[in-house]
Amino acid sequence: MHNTIGMRSPNSELPTPDSQRCHRVVITGLGVVSSIGVGRESFWENCLRGISGIKPVQRFDVSSYRSREGAELPEIDFKAFIQPANLRRMDRIGKIVVSAVRLALDDSGLNLKQADPGRVGISIGTGLGSSDTVDQFFRSLLKEGPTGAAPLLFQTAVPNAITSHCAIEYGIKGANITFSHKESSTEMAVAFAYHLLREGRGDVILAGGGDELSEPLYHVYSMLGALSPGRGTGVEGMRPFSRDRNGIVLGEGSGILVLERLEHAKERGANIYAEMAGVGLSGSTDGLLRYDLRGDSIVRAMTLAARELDNVDYISAAANSTPDLDQAEVFAIKKVFKERTREVSVSSLKSMLGEFDGSGGIRTCGAALSLYNGIIPPTIGTSHLDPECDLNVILGQPRKKEIRSVLLNSCSNGGSNISLWLKQYDPDQ
Amino acid sequence: MKKRVVITGLGVVSAVGNNLPEFWDSLVGGRDGAKEITVFDPSAYRIRIAAEVSHLDLEAHFSGKEIRRLSRCDRFGLIAFREAWKSAHLDQDPCDRERAGVILGAGSGGILSVEKYFRNRYRESKKSSPSLLISYSLATTTDRIAIEAGLKGPRSTTATVCSSSSTSIGVAYEMIQMGLADVMVTGGSDSLCEVSYSGFSSLKLVDPESCKPFDKRRRGLIIGEGAGILILEELEHALKRGVPIHAEFLGYGICADAYHLTAPEPNGEGVERVIRIALAHAGIRPEDIDTINAHGTATPFNDIAETRGIKRVFGERAKEIPISGIKSMIGHCLGSAGGIEAVATVMTLEMGTIPPTIHYEVPDPLCDLNYTPNQSVQGDVRIALSNSFAFGGNNACLVFKKFSLE
Repeated sequence: MHNTIGMRSPNSELPTPDSQRCHRVVITGLGVVSSIGVGRESFWENCLRGISGIKPVQRFDVSSYRSREGAELPEIDFKAFIQPANLRRMDRIGKIVVSAVRLALDDSGLNLKQADPGRVGISIGTGLGSSDTVDQFFRSLLKEGPTGAAPLLFQTAVPNAITSHCAIEYGIKGANITFSHKESSTEMAVAFAYHLLREGRGDVILAGGGDELSEPLYHVYSMLGALSPGRGTGVEGMRPFSRDRNGIVLGEGSGILVLERLEHAKERGANIYAEMAGVGLSGSTDGLLRYDLRGDSIVRAMTLAARELDNVDYISAAANSTPDLDQAEVFAIKKVFKERTREVSVSSLKSMLGEFDGSGGIRTCGAALSLYNGIIPPTIGTSHLDPECDLNVILGQPRKKEIRSVLLNSCSNGGSNISLWLKQYDPDQ
Repeated sequence: MKKRVVITGLGVVSAVGNNLPEFWDSLVGGRDGAKEITVFDPSAYRIRIAAEVSHLDLEAHFSGKEIRRLSRCDRFGLIAFREAWKSAHLDQDPCDRERAGVILGAGSGGILSVEKYFRNRYRESKKSSPSLLISYSLATTTDRIAIEAGLKGPRSTTATVCSSSSTSIGVAYEMIQMGLADVMVTGGSDSLCEVSYSGFSSLKLVDPESCKPFDKRRRGLIIGEGAGILILEELEHALKRGVPIHAEFLGYGICADAYHLTAPEPNGEGVERVIRIALAHAGIRPEDIDTINAHGTATPFNDIAETRGIKRVFGERAKEIPISGIKSMIGHCLGSAGGIEAVATVMTLEMGTIPPTIHYEVPDPLCDLNYTPNQSVQGDVRIALSNSFAFGGNNACLVFKKFSLE
């Protein structure tokens, strides 16, 4: 063993310990590829109009299922967003997320060529990533044996391929991470990015994620009994908090936020939508396919995220039209806000977008737009609230309201609960 | 103030040992875990070896019902978790379950079960149980561990495949820094499956004989499987419990090459950057590093890029630093590689023994560092790095330190 101390070179660089100072983190760009609009403006317009993305599924045959519906993306000309050489190597979910990143970057006005590439990062969440590519790869393997295994499919089938596509397309060389944990995948990606920026370990992180609707995924959800209308005789549809809710309708899409250190945003004169002000994470242990049945874990996630509960005026709910989750979230909100409960507006964007693991990116973009514009999109589809869900749910029409801060909830079956707290940006604070 | 985070529990399942003592003995003794594949029928493949987990006594760990329900990935993860949890005395000590969470890294997860389901579906031979589909999500093993131990703290799963479970350790550390937890279960679990085996085969990245990192004759990886679980704990919390401390986790780095979907950046710039980020985060200098647990996949390009990256950081001293390429023994365990290698790195510091890179015979002029060839080496190692690099240039580097109170 060599004596390492003796080997120390005299002019080696000194360690640069990370600053202990906490940085403020703001949202300066929003990129949305959704079933109700591509781009921030059309998404937001349709959100406020209460347009539903849910229609009969077109991209694959659903005739063998009890369910028919899904919130699919419109046809998108990806050439408008992605360099041709890179486009060839991407599968559909890769294209969807890379396009959302393009939209977010354009919206932020950030010129990556002027940024230090090592201080720009990307944090992506996806539940099932390239499920369609994995399926294609596997089918071809079954049919033709090892010679059917297609290397090009394999390299795009890994969940982090999405994140790598983005890094390669935009030359993003800083922090790079991919999370996959059911319905809290994207919220985790945002929470992690927020923490890194708060500690000053980067200037900008593109955070969010997405998922695509594929036949195998539809099959899996159907076989596990998660899809509306379930086994009953009810009508198929997404109706969060409704007394006749009976399961989820699957959706797809991607939402990306440009998270930025406040000083960096100010230096370049960026438009600021909102401030990321806190995150809360907790777990419940009611079962592998169960949500937090008593809502205790959701309570912890919300209270850990929002340090000033009195300033919360709006909750972008995780409610996904399943009997269990909607009720658990109601319990939790009542427990947290007590007599203030009726003053807090609640809405679930999933009523328009459908449910999917990576929905959190789009929903967080929605929460930032609510803060920025002082308006809350409606929960659609629900006409009669479940008497047990007696919250101040914004039904049918959007509600104009001064919003000081928003709590965004996500709850995964299996039990990962994450809340994000977004505040109106106050330059004088 | 940054909190100090220590490792108080370790658990492992691997091709060279199904618990920590066996695993460590094998590493020190230079045992190769590669063998003929049995988890799926490999007869159609030209190369049929992998570092498969064997001699695992499932009945000793699980009930019959559990064995039917758990994917291979879940089984490895739970067995390694139980060993780690017990070794940290957390099965006995009271611990606030709301401040204990799980962040694991995943690769292909329980896809072996999912493959079974879809194989039946597409061949229309027979219907299979939808319960196999529970493993469709990469979160399943993470959730199973949290549910078994009733852990109600932060929970998530990282999915950067070959660097997943190194990245997960970094994320688990952040949960403690964010004040959300005192105790975090981290690392990862992954199992062999035909999809990943055929994929690596199709990319011509599998060596027909053995995994020979940094050797001129190297032709690729040997796929492995298993689980490596670490218990991270906030120092004060561990001291209050009076539990033995294996090592300290000083910090980590993650970054991207932003270069290519499968090939590493050839000049080692991505490797250099991730090591520098990790050193800066840990607040130490390059000269503080005594040993490196390499990514060392034995693919022609990885080993050159890693060697170049190490040289870019350490300069002349690079040749003096003993490097271990333990994939030569345990194979490339994909989603659990970083976790198992982190366990090995912690043991290296604790035991003062650097495991070897086996099958090292013919030096490659492009890989000209000290790879601890074939024989383990004794030494007073204080600070160690563990590297993991994934497809797409998703790099991770962890920094561990021999524990002392000062």
